[in-house]
Amino acid sequence: MHAVTIDAPRPHIATTPSFAAVAEELLDDVYGYLLYLTKNWAVAEDLTGETFEAAFKKWRRFDPGRGTPRAWLLAIARSTALDWFRSDARRRKREERAGSAEQRAEIDAFGESFSAELAESLQALSAGEREVVALRIVLDLDGEETARLLGISVTAVSTRLSRALSKLEERMRDHDVVA
Amino acid sequence: MTSSPDLIHELRASRPSAPVELRSRIRAIAVEQERTDSTALWAGRRFPVRRGMLVAVPAAAALALASAGVLGLARSDSPQAVGRDAAEKATLSAAAPETAPGALDTSGTRAQTPTPTADERAQKASATLTVEVKDSDAVSRAAQSALDLTRTLGGFVVSSSVATGDTGSASITVRVPVDKVQEAIAGLSGLGRIVSQNVTIEDRQESIDAFVRQSRSLRAQIALVTARLESETLDAETRARLEARLKNLKTDLLVARRSLGTLRAEARMSTIQLTVVTPEALGAVAPPSRIDRTIDEALNVLAWEGVVALGILIVLAPFALVAGAVWLGHRLYRRHEEDRLLAT
Repeated sequence: MHAVTIDAPRPHIATTPSFAAVAEELLDDVYGYLLYLTKNWAVAEDLTGETFEAAFKKWRRFDPGRGTPRAWLLAIARSTALDWFRSDARRRKREERAGSAEQRAEIDAFGESFSAELAESLQALSAGEREVVALRIVLDLDGEETARLLGISVTAVSTRLSRALSKLEERMRDHDVVA
Repeated sequence: MTSSPDLIHELRASRPSAPVELRSRIRAIAVEQERTDSTALWAGRRFPVRRGMLVAVPAAAALALASAGVLGLARSDSPQAVGRDAAEKATLSAAAPETAPGALDTSGTRAQTPTPTADERAQKASATLTVEVKDSDAVSRAAQSALDLTRTLGGFVVSSSVATGDTGSASITVRVPVDKVQEAIAGLSGLGRIVSQNVTIEDRQESIDAFVRQSRSLRAQIALVTARLESETLDAETRARLEARLKNLKTDLLVARRSLGTLRAEARMSTIQLTVVTPEALGAVAPPSRIDRTIDEALNVLAWEGVVALGILIVLAPFALVAGAVWLGHRLYRRHEEDRLLAT
């Protein structure tokens, strides 16, 4: 088991803030989450835009009594990303059926902020594992908030995070050995 | 070698930031949102379904209770009126088969007590009254008053039975002159609370007229036969036949006169049957108060509302179950699909 030390979650915004303030504050969170999920900065940018457009349309329905703006936005981002995963899966199937020999140049890149080792290690994780790392480690969501967002139990979140970190650690260790 | 704290530190250190172009694009969206908000009529107003249900469900319950209360209050009339109406309806329905065709059958309260429209026609009037008094002593007093009243009006007592004790009751049958029947009924009705009242009037004039005509005819025939017997020389056989006929005619005349007498006696005197009872003897409980009746009526309305709600629930339940099953299946499928998508 890993001893994971996580900072205390950020204080929630109690009253309904303006959409602009929320967007300004949470843009990096949403983008980072989507980047981890899709491991593709170009796709993450597109999906971030779609997420905020969807949030813009739904903003009047946002109820601060039922959750933080961050959890709300991340839920929209997750839904947007899942739609993209679905369409991407359909696209891949179509290409397989067509027997297209031409392989599309995948731009699996995390961007400049990641070290090459870390980026490569993250590539080895599944989307679900990267997702839980992003939420629990990078964005500092607590277990309950993460579980609610993912629709799984807190225990499942811990298990998934532990497994992801183990794999990640292993991959990083391999890099260290090679280096 | 990379340890978990180092790894976590590195992950946090490499926290991605949104590119400048993306930030500009999101800011533009935010500006658009704020501009729309400032012009939208319903900006910032939300009608969440759950909160709406929190209001709607108690409001519906309150409406159901209020309607039950209002209807209950509206339906709870005065107990006397209700009891009297019921008693009169029962009396009317019970008396209906006894009423002769063409006879006038009426019943009503003291103020509306009908009187036989005697005029010149001979009519038979009879009445049945049941009055309730508070206790056994009151029964005795009422019976005595009834007898006194009958005598005062020129009538007489046909039968009288008074029982006292825990459950006192009295049964009195009197006959009073037909022109005093209205006064008699009014007086007897005043002895207690009317439980039931039935007045029946039957026309006897046609029967009397028929017997009068028959009597005249018989007398004429008797006179004719008598004259023949006195004035003519008759053979023995004829004389015997006429004498036999004369005898029969006289017998018929006697019967007709007696019937006529009976009918005229009936038309002169009315029969009134009076029953005096206590609440215990009547087997009736004390009339409920207005609050009790209101509560009863309100509970009836609530029961009906419950029946309607249950009916709606029974009709909608299968659809709700199917919808729930579809929703659950869809949700499970989506979860499975998400797991599959995120496993790559």
